[in-house]
This record gives sequence, structure tokens and C-alpha cells, in this order.
Amino acid sequence: MSNLDQERSYLQSGAHRARRRELSPQRWQELSARIQTPSLTLPRRAALRLRLFLEEETIVRRPGERIPCWRTLISFPDLYAPGEKEGLQAGHYIHEQGRVCNISSDWEGALRDGLLPRRDRLCALLAQKEGDADYLTSAIACIDAVLAYADRYEWQGLSHAVRHGARTYEEALQAFRMLHFCLWASNVYHNTVGRFDQFMFPYYQADMEAGRLTPEDAQALTEEFFLSFNRDSDLYSGMQQGDNGQSLMLGGCDAQGNCAVNALTGICLTASLRNRCIDPKINLRVTRDTPLELFERCTALTRQGLGFPQYANDDVVIPALIRWGYAPEDARNYTVAACWEFIVPGTAMDIPNIGAVSLAKAVRDAIAAHLKDSPDYDTLFARVKAELTARADTLEASVKPLWMEPAPYQSVLMCDYSHDISQGAKYNNYGIHGTGFADAVDQLCAVKKYVFEQKTLCPDALLAALAQNFEGAAPLLHLLREDAPKLGRDTECLPIADALLDAFAGSWEGRKNERSGIFRPGTGSAMYYLWHAKDLGALSDGHRAGEVLCANLSPSLLVRDAGPLSVIQAMARPGLPRVMNGGPLTLELHDTVFQNQEGMTKVAQLVRSFIQLGGHQLQLNAVDRDTLLDAQAHPEAHRNLIVRVWGWSGHFVQLDKAYQDQIIARTSYTI
Amino acid sequence: MKGMVFDLEEFAVYDGPGIRCAVFLKGCPLRCEWCHNPEGLSPLPQRVVTQSLCAHCGQCRAVCPTPQGCTACGACVPGCPQGCIRIAGQLTEHEEVAARIRRVAPLLAMNGGGVTFTGGEALMQSDFVLAVRRALPDVHACIETCGYAPKEDFLRVCREMDLVILDIKLVDTALHKRYTGADNALILANLEALKASGIPFRVRIPLIPTVNDTQENLEATAKLLTDAPQLEKVELLPYHRAAGGKYASLGMAYRPSFPENIPPRADVEIFAKYGIKAGIL
Repeated sequence: MSNLDQERSYLQSGAHRARRRELSPQRWQELSARIQTPSLTLPRRAALRLRLFLEEETIVRRPGERIPCWRTLISFPDLYAPGEKEGLQAGHYIHEQGRVCNISSDWEGALRDGLLPRRDRLCALLAQKEGDADYLTSAIACIDAVLAYADRYEWQGLSHAVRHGARTYEEALQAFRMLHFCLWASNVYHNTVGRFDQFMFPYYQADMEAGRLTPEDAQALTEEFFLSFNRDSDLYSGMQQGDNGQSLMLGGCDAQGNCAVNALTGICLTASLRNRCIDPKINLRVTRDTPLELFERCTALTRQGLGFPQYANDDVVIPALIRWGYAPEDARNYTVAACWEFIVPGTAMDIPNIGAVSLAKAVRDAIAAHLKDSPDYDTLFARVKAELTARADTLEASVKPLWMEPAPYQSVLMCDYSHDISQGAKYNNYGIHGTGFADAVDQLCAVKKYVFEQKTLCPDALLAALAQNFEGAAPLLHLLREDAPKLGRDTECLPIADALLDAFAGSWEGRKNERSGIFRPGTGSAMYYLWHAKDLGALSDGHRAGEVLCANLSPSLLVRDAGPLSVIQAMARPGLPRVMNGGPLTLELHDTVFQNQEGMTKVAQLVRSFIQLGGHQLQLNAVDRDTLLDAQAHPEAHRNLIVRVWGWSGHFVQLDKAYQDQIIARTSYTI
Repeated sequence: MKGMVFDLEEFAVYDGPGIRCAVFLKGCPLRCEWCHNPEGLSPLPQRVVTQSLCAHCGQCRAVCPTPQGCTACGACVPGCPQGCIRIAGQLTEHEEVAARIRRVAPLLAMNGGGVTFTGGEALMQSDFVLAVRRALPDVHACIETCGYAPKEDFLRVCREMDLVILDIKLVDTALHKRYTGADNALILANLEALKASGIPFRVRIPLIPTVNDTQENLEATAKLLTDAPQLEKVELLPYHRAAGGKYASLGMAYRPSFPENIPPRADVEIFAKYGIKAGIL
């Protein structure tokens, strides 16, 4: 067995977890008391916490390993004494955990320069009394803590790289791992990997030119590095196990817009293919001109059922970001947040998932309140628009004043590290998900057709059936579920889909958040496809109370016979640029289409077609429904079954049953 | 005109070149033991019940106009609270089928694909196939057929196709009769007619363990194909255990007499020996 194979099976066995420990109650008390010293400000506490954490960490070495850092501390005291946090947060809007998350660091600069130039500049600012002394002192202390921790490895290359910048590919990988590990230790989360093949390429290229590195060694190093993301990932849980934000972007263009796919792009795809691990989650930026061969390589990755790569289309994403005010060079440098929200590394403190509008509910409420008094469809649709505006008003008002925990160490890794990143950055835009898009469109289509055009369904009968959750109305339920037009299958839905996207975009256009950023609506759903389904009730498209909504930009789960070609045509809407926060078309293809090269090529063609039609983002699952059902019944036999959930991949058997059921339901429109 | 269609699949990847739409036509003259599309056998509509969803609530029986026997009238479909009943097979206008394909035709063309008529046995509705085909003059068209049809019908349809995919299941007449219920003389004669016609074609062999995956049968098939310059390739389709999956929902039983568990021998070398390109699907 090769060294790498040994590492893979070591990680899969979970044996490394035996090295983990919890602090003793006494030690916990001691450390809590030191960190939570009342006289210390939060930035200083954060810096002290990071130092103590790293000092407390055990240095673990595996024979022959070239990538550092294994987390051994399961948990560590927080910054706040009991009750303190509640006091600080009172009267504020708190996003998720109240910490910096879902951003991508300036890895390019940090790896190139190391931390010492940043430290020098922070010291100079402090000496000149420019900026917040609390922050500056804390940021310096964070750097010192990280350098001290790195030195405990006694790897000269690593110590040099984190101080002065990496000189080789190996050093760059080691330094990344070290800096990234410390981000997790500093308690920020969903800190994404960013455009890995771009910021790493100079080191790879220099090594190759100098003859220091062979392609085989570069491959092995990359695989070992990728594996390291899975050492501690079970400790970094988000909404569900697997939702940890370790997303990595490949491909795309340079600052001038030229294609920037390079040798590392392929090395990374192969590494992910060989490792068969959830992390890092692979994304690929493509254009209409991306060669089919690259799509084919990615299809091989899709085939193994990890649910990635996820594709993003530069042709539509970049102009949309520029239209939203991102500088062209920043827009061209986009990556994804934890799931699929488009963000810019190093310069953005966007909160791309600050809230969500249930499009399905907005339409439902408009129908419930106004179907009877709407003389025609256009009047009803105007009510839908009013509902969307009202929801935007409420949501906008609810997300301020924002409070976020200071994050001095994460701040050090940004392009502008002169202030705490939690206070904002060059871009401070908020992203708004739109949930249940297809369910919203389908409701409108059904009402338009049967109530207003054919006049075969009277509003009272429909509303009564909705109120009764279709009890005793099986023929109407059948009509709405089976015969009514459905987005993804029937083209008559498309004008309504366009109008609704436009209305959703319009309801947010021109609004500013309290950080002078804009609101970016998007087609993502995240976990809202479950949350928003909970109290939704029955819908005019035949959706019954309690049934889940579609994830992201997908056909309704009621559609059984939407073919992939109709789906990609339906979802590549011309209005997408106005709702470019992110949120992929999620296609489930039966795993039999991947069984040979011919099938793989055709899947690659299907993906490319969606991009060529102007689709913005796509994730593909290779699913065998029977396997999923079996995994639900016999989880012990399917511990390693990985599926795409909403913007990330997770182990199927570790998901809550509701999420499992949604994924199984999604397979209903597999071919 | 109308045809009895039981499915239209949009992303058929193993039914000809490129990304294709497959039109599944109901009715088949053969009864192959391994058939994985049992709803394609009868030319008439059939009731399909998804057993896993059925709550046995009895609503369907309450509305059934012919409790003595199902006529696939569909009366029970809208009344099922679980939505688990459907009727396989619908009389569909040729223009409706053509319209659905036309909608995605640019995507088919972009990806070197087109439409494939299959089934069941598409030649049992040859006029309908031609009507759809003629409504789509710019779409690459292909037929997948078992070849069991009168020669005139066979050629009349094949001549309007860009590609023919012909199944040659067994060369031995007795075995063919035993496993498919029909004599293969007509099929082999049609193969000769196809070879003589100059129409591009592929031959497809579903590989059924112990039935036709023998050296003898594959060799005999290869010999039939040595003098066909317009033969693109031979496609071997190894038997899949999921073949029996749909029978229960039609109220039918799947009873193969061959051993399902043995993976069939997929030997492309035999064909290579005769200078014939062969691949496994």
C-alpha cells in the first residue's frame, strides 16, 4: 500500500479521532477565566483565545507526512462569560452564529508574502496611532500565536513560509494548511478555500521549471493536501454534517479575462477523484468555450457520486457581478462561499445568505387573499409583486443593526487588514435566497390556466380545497399535480417564470443595507427548502401540506416526467443575471448514464449545453434511487455513500431523515 | 395520425449517436424472456400501480366501472389519493410527439443527436413512425428494431431513417423461438435486406447469461456481419438484474429461465477477429 493509500484508509477508519481530547473541567475553568477577563475587549480576548488554543494543541506527526496540523482539541472555551453574549447582542440582528463566516481570504497575498510584512504594517499603524489600537494589538498577537504554533512543527520550510512567504509548492501547501487550520481554531467558520489552482500555480510552475518537482510528486502532494481537509471536518459541522464551507474553486479567468485553466486544474480534479472524500468540495468555472474534454474529466468526478464538481458560468456571473458594482478585476476573481453564493476573495465581507424569501409562500398568500377579487391574471400577479415587496421591506428592516464578533485573525488574512473584517470590507452586500421558485411558478401557471383562461376552476373551489389540504378533492389534486403546467417540463411556464424572477429581482433593486451594500437576490434555497415548507400548507400546484419544496433552481418535486433537456432549457432563464447571488440548477441523473465513456461524454455535453444556453450554475448528482432507499433502511451498509444536499456534499446516512427523503424525492425526475 | 406511445425519454444516451430523444411505442411481436420494458409488450393501454406508494385505501375500487376486469380506462387515476396509478400507453397525435421533440431539437443538434424510435417494437406502428419522422425533416432519426416485421414495412421505414439499430438476439432458430417466442427467419432476412439497402446500421445484442453470450452464437452473429460495409458497429448490452423491476407494477410476473446472477460474457474480441467494430454499452 502506498503512503497515500495508507493515509486514506487511516482517515476513513476514523482512527485519528482517538487522539482527540476534551479539556478537563478544571483546565476549562482556568482557560475560561483567562479568556473571559472582564477588562479585556473582545478583539483581545479573541487573540488570547487563539494563542491559548494553539498552545494547548498537541502536535501530531504521522510518519512521512508532508502536510501539518491535526486537531486534537474537540472544544474550547468561548469569549464570553455566562450571560455576557446575550447582553452584547441584545437589540441587534445576529447572523447565524454571530461570527464572521462564508468569506474567502486573500490566500494569494498571504502565501506570497507571509505574515511578517502584515505584522510590520500593523505595528507601524499602531505606532502612528492610525486605526483601532485594540484591533491592531490583537491582530499582531494573532500573528505571533500562529507563528509560534507553526514553529512547534520544527519544519524550516513551514516556519519560513508563514513568515516570509512560500518558496515552493510544498511550502505553499503547508502554509495554507497552517493558516487555514488556525482560522478554524479562531472560531470563524465556512472559510472557503477560494481559487486554489490560481494562487498555487506560481509555486507549482516555479518548481517545475527549476526541476524541483515532478508531475507525479505534485499529484501526490496535492492529494495529501486535499486529504488534510478531512482530518477534522467532522468537528466543523454547519446545518448538517458535511456543511462546513471547505469549497474550492478551479478554472475561470485571470484579472484581464483570459482563460486561466492550468496544469493544477487537472491535478486537482484527479486528486479529488482519487481521494473520494467530501472535502474539499470542488467547483469549476467554465464558459461557453470551455473544451468538452474538461467537462468530461469533471463528469468522471460526478460519476463517483460525490455530488461535485459544481459548475459556474463565467459568461453570465461576471457581467452580473459587474452590474452589481463589483470592479471588473474583482468580478473576474469570483469564487463561491460555502455552497454556491458568488463572493470575491480577500476584499468582500458579503453576507451572501443573510435571509430568504419564500417565493412559494408569497404566491400562496397572494392567491389566498386576492384570487377572488382579481378580475384577471395580471391583477393577481400585481398582488404577487406587492407581496414580494412587502416581504423585502420586512426582511430588510430585520437584518439591522448587525452585530458580529470581532475576528482579528481572519482580518489579518484579508487584502485590507488595517481594521477588523467584522466591521466590513470593500464589498458589504447581502444575499437573499429565493425558495421554492418552481413551486411558485407552477402555482401561478395552474391558476392562470384553470381559473382565468379555461375558467374550469372557480376560485372558491380552489381555495376551499387548499384550506382542506385537498381532502376529498382527489380529482382536483390529480389535475393540479399531473396535468397542470410545470416548470421544467412545459414551455408555457416560461413567461411566468421570467416575470416572477423579474419581480423578485425588482423587489430588492435599489435597496441599501446599513453597510452601504446592496441586496443580491438569488436562486438558492439552502435549508430553507425544508424550513419554508413546514408551515406552507397546500398550494395551487397540487403541493400538499408538509411536502418539501424543490432545492435551489429545480423543477418542483411533483414533476415526474421532466426530461433533462427541457429542464436545462427551462432553467437557463434570461433574467438570471438579476438574481445572481447564486443557487444552482440541481440535476439528478441516474448512475446508469455514467456506465461507459459514451454515456459520460453525453453527460458532459448536457452540462456544456446548459452553460451555452446561459445557465449560471449547475450541480449534478449521480444517483441510484434503490441505493438511497437501501441506505435509509440499512445505514450500516452505506456509511460512505455521499450525496449533494443543497450546496455541499454529505454522507447520506448522517443526514436527518427529512433531508434524506428530499433527496430520494428529487430522484423522481431522474431519467 | 395517432400512435400508441408509452414514454418519451429526453436524455437517451444509449440509443444512437449524441444526445437523443427516445419515443417508446407500445406493442411487440416478440416475447423475449429478459424484456425490461414489459409495458411495451401489449399494444393496448395498461394500468400501472407503483406498489411502494399504494396505501391499499380502496378508493380505486370504489370508482372502478368494470370491477370484473381492468380495461385501463383510467377512471381510477385521478381518484387515487397517493397518485400512484397511471396508464401506460396513450393514443398520441404524431404532431404532438413531433412538437415535443422540436422544442429540444436545437439541443439535440448541438450535441450530434436526434430522435430514436423504439419500444416495444416501433415497426408495429410503422405509419405512425413515418408520420413523426416526416414532421421532423431536419432531425437526425434512428429506429431501434427487433427486425420482426414484413420486409416491405421494414425497408419502407428504414429508408427514411439516418440510422437503423437492429437487434440480432440469437442466430439459432430453435433457441430464438424458445427464448423470444418467434422464429428468426424474418429477422435474418431483414438483416440481409438491410445490408443490401446501403442504409447505415448498427447491430445490437442483448447479452443474456448462458442464452446467447456463448462463443457459438457470437461467432455466428459475427459471420453474418462480415459483408456489411455500412455496419457502424456492434453494441453488446450485458443483461442487468433490474430488468424485472417493472413487472409487478403491471400485475405481471417476471420468470426468467436463465440464471440471472451470472454476469454475461461480453466478448468483443470475437467481433474484432472478423474485422467488426464492437463495444459494450
